[in-house]
Amino acid sequence: NMASKIRVALRPVKSILVRFCPFEPNVESTRLFLQRIYHKKIYDTNRNCEVTADVRHDGSEPLVDVMFADGERLIMKGANLTTVEMLTALSSRCNAKELKAEQKSKKKSP
Amino acid sequence: ASAANMAALSGGGPWRRGWLPALQLVRHGSKAVTRHWKAMHFQRQKLMAVTEYLAPKPPVPEQCLPPKKEVVEEEDGYVRLLRRQVAEAFRDNRMIVVCQYNPMSNEDMLLMRHYLRKHNIEVKFFLNEIVRPVLSQSKYKNLLPLFVGRNIVLVSPETKAKEMLRVLRGVPQINLLGACIDDTILSKKGVENFAKLPSLEASQGQTVGALALLPSQTCSLLQRGPARLAALLDEYIRQLQAGVTPGSPRGSPAEPSPSQSSEAH
Repeated sequence: NMASKIRVALRPVKSILVRFCPFEPNVESTRLFLQRIYHKKIYDTNRNCEVTADVRHDGSEPLVDVMFADGERLIMKGANLTTVEMLTALSSRCNAKELKAEQKSKKKSP
Repeated sequence: ASAANMAALSGGGPWRRGWLPALQLVRHGSKAVTRHWKAMHFQRQKLMAVTEYLAPKPPVPEQCLPPKKEVVEEEDGYVRLLRRQVAEAFRDNRMIVVCQYNPMSNEDMLLMRHYLRKHNIEVKFFLNEIVRPVLSQSKYKNLLPLFVGRNIVLVSPETKAKEMLRVLRGVPQINLLGACIDDTILSKKGVENFAKLPSLEASQGQTVGALALLPSQTCSLLQRGPARLAALLDEYIRQLQAGVTPGSPRGSPAEPSPSQSSEAH
């Protein structure tokens, strides 16, 4: 399964909010995304990350709202995205932030 | 010849000096790569013949082939049993809740199952492929879009929504998607509202009280006019007794008559 091979390092992430309306037909990828986040290998990278699932019934679009530790925010509207795309987007941003943090720590302590 | 050569080269016997043989044992060999055509070694010829390239032939048109018999998939007995279990679960229980199952540790799962068991709520795992056809044929068609990904179904013959919500709140990995309580399909908010409802006895008492309120008021409503009149007359008497001129603007129509006031009572 392609989606289980993507590794996300959740360290730079502060909180993830997943909002969806289960009676709508376009929520499958968002729900699978939520399931993937709870997988041991990804969830264990940062136990302090608060993952919340907001189940509504107002016909709103499925939404993933990621708050990073440095204040940045990533909003993904899952109505027309696949799980793999969302995971790769999140993992690429997380890796970029990790690299930046490593570089900063290297600069501080040479 | 080879034996003679060997004897000559080893240098034993009367010929002490070695001598070069007149015949060379090596055949007039050409090398492997020659300027003229050279036949391959027989084994190589065999290998080349076996590994020749065969071009793919164009497929025979379908009409030339014998007609394909349609393979009818037999319904598995196991699948039938699972479907029957699903149908039973939906029929026998008053409260059916569908939740999303996210990966959680086994101890958490066991604890949650234990707490729900205490309230007589069973946790069931069903496969989507089995649940979907069963639901589409029953009356629960609107629950169909819920069954995507990994789900669990909590079933219970009683409707203890409040306790169930409390247990589920302690487990963040289970998300309540929807429920069907007493043949009524509810969303998550619906379930929360349902949990906030008072119990059946309390609500019955409330209805009875509301219904009884109106007749209890009829008696006082009918009495209001004469009661007001009596009160005004009493006030008038008190004013007379107190010595104040009874020019009250309240409009007491007649003279105080004790018989009238006693009639009102």
